[in-house]
Amino acid sequence: MESTIKRLERAFNPHVVAVVGDKMELGYMWLKSMAHFQGKLYSVQIDEREFPGIASLGVRNYFKLQDIPDEIDYVVIAVPNTVTPRIIRDCIAKNVCAASLFTSGFAESGTAEGRKLQDTIATIAREANFNLIGPNCMGIYNPRLGVRHSMDQTYGRNGNVGFISQSGTHATFFSLVSPLNGIYISKSVSYGNAAVLDSTDYLEYFGNDADTEVIGIYIEGVNNGRKFFSCLKDVASRKPVVIWKGGVGNEGGRATASHTASMAGSPAIWEALIRQCGAIKVENLSELIDTMKLLLQAKPPAGDRVGLAAMTGGQSVVITDAFTRQGFQVPFLSEASYKKFTTFFQTVGASYRNPLDISLNFPHLDRIIKSIDILSEDENIDTVVLEISIALMKDLSWINTNLFDNMIEALADYKRRCAKSFITIVVSAHAEQLALEVKKKLVAQNIPCFSSFESGAKALRKAVDFYHTKAST
Amino acid sequence: MTANKIISVAKKEGRTALTEPESKKLLTEAGIKCTEIKVAKTSKEAITAAKKFGFPVVLKIVSPDILHKTDVGGVKLNLRNDKEVGKAFDEITKSAKKHQPKARIQGISVQPMARKGIEIIIGMNKDQQFGPVLMFGLGGILVEVLKDVSFRIVPLTKRDAREMIKEIKGYPILQGYRGHEPANIELLEDILLKVSKFVEDQPEIKELDINPIFAYRDSALALDARIILES
Repeated sequence: MESTIKRLERAFNPHVVAVVGDKMELGYMWLKSMAHFQGKLYSVQIDEREFPGIASLGVRNYFKLQDIPDEIDYVVIAVPNTVTPRIIRDCIAKNVCAASLFTSGFAESGTAEGRKLQDTIATIAREANFNLIGPNCMGIYNPRLGVRHSMDQTYGRNGNVGFISQSGTHATFFSLVSPLNGIYISKSVSYGNAAVLDSTDYLEYFGNDADTEVIGIYIEGVNNGRKFFSCLKDVASRKPVVIWKGGVGNEGGRATASHTASMAGSPAIWEALIRQCGAIKVENLSELIDTMKLLLQAKPPAGDRVGLAAMTGGQSVVITDAFTRQGFQVPFLSEASYKKFTTFFQTVGASYRNPLDISLNFPHLDRIIKSIDILSEDENIDTVVLEISIALMKDLSWINTNLFDNMIEALADYKRRCAKSFITIVVSAHAEQLALEVKKKLVAQNIPCFSSFESGAKALRKAVDFYHTKAST
Repeated sequence: MTANKIISVAKKEGRTALTEPESKKLLTEAGIKCTEIKVAKTSKEAITAAKKFGFPVVLKIVSPDILHKTDVGGVKLNLRNDKEVGKAFDEITKSAKKHQPKARIQGISVQPMARKGIEIIIGMNKDQQFGPVLMFGLGGILVEVLKDVSFRIVPLTKRDAREMIKEIKGYPILQGYRGHEPANIELLEDILLKVSKFVEDQPEIKELDINPIFAYRDSALALDARIILES
């Protein structure tokens, strides 16, 4: 028989998928989510009342997993909890590579029956060396193959980010939000109570998965801390791992216990663990997305010195505050740079000292680009940060009708020739709709953009620290 | 006596707490410099030891049943001559018997009084999920009030040791604050690595406290230590 990890790999890249127990009451969410699956999809359901609904989706239904004529790589189980032991035995009999258990009502319920039922299914799976994902989870998402757990998830495109989530909501939200930010998933898994397979197993798999270059984790607790520690240390030495730890402190611990029956553990120890392994710690979905954006879309920042270009005086002050608060230096530029500025930069009501206050040099796009060229060529600067003020540009677009598109095109050119890390901050003020459109275009050009000075500064901080730690090992 | 022997003797005696001299013997064997120590059974023995070390000295109660020595009046510092040592010996014996009449008293330890350095604490605790975890902090108020400590999971690498020292807010104190004597940071890193190796090699150890260590410009010295074994 193939190794557990080999079989898990087949489940993450399945040719044949079966859904057991999908029904009208669930809105046939599983079968509908799998509608674009590239392989063969089957349903298993014994309730005759569900047959027409399943048939209308064009999915062939069987009474039993064993009746399905093909070998099955991945099974989603959505039956009532008391039936799960039988279905897992069927999976084992059918030699299925892995199954995820959507069903809840196990250890997370806090009841003796729930815990006992979880022990029962875990024992059945362990004895057969069976890859059981969950219970109380959403399982696998593979966008390339159209293996999904939400109808809103994108499909067809292969990505390079692996996401391991103890929570189904965070797995789903990350998968929905990431493509809007130019972050594309290779595979993700929501694994719930981790009765058999735990975060360590998925981390090991993603660590060795050729498609996955960056790994994100949402985690509430671990079963075997030592194993997780050494696995994370190993994987994080090869690929960036960004960790969002849910459940901080006593109250958080109470929540993780009833969510996934996890022991939250001491926040100080988790923090130490993440640092020690060279992973990156984030505190929420936005930080996770922002940090990944920097890792994936910007060149590795070399150090703490930033060149800041704001569009107005007030912004030049607060962009500096935001970046210095995160420990960045905003140094004077070299004499050579200042000499270059004197040749074109309009200084009345503006400034090029660093921070730059572009002000009246707007809307001369060429001057902005020249300015950030000088910043990236300056030996005192490691990262160039440009504010894109949507509200201001909106007011000026009557002069230059294609201002936004021209600017984004020019920035895309700039990014290609810029040898240093370059990020943009899109400040919308009231023009939120327009800001969204600009953001979309920036994403399409793979230009990292953030929605506030603070979030950009924070993400840059995490990236600089990450590369620094990496360089010192 | 080797570490294993000390541990097996304690276990045979049915106790999980090692005494200060036992704990220090283990640490010394692990390469961590501790104050010299001589356990005296009589005040005469104590005076002889004090003379050998040179005054001033410190006297401390030695009992596997007394974990917090100062709480029972079991510690006397800065004893400058024969007379003070003799008197302290009697007082400690009396006080300990009064506070904890059932405590098994193995004697009273005599140790040279160490010159004041930067007070440091190194501890080890076993986390339910992650096993042995080392703690590092500056002693006194900084640890007790500000909880200015850092943690790392065992085993530590050299980088971990360096970072866990740099991470504490009191780090500038170690660098020599306003003309005060700085600590030898490389040496502290080395101690952390030795403690890490020590607890890794001795899974029988459940808890470890080295409190305080005095850090100097060119050395560091453990003044007190406590080891608790797994039951």
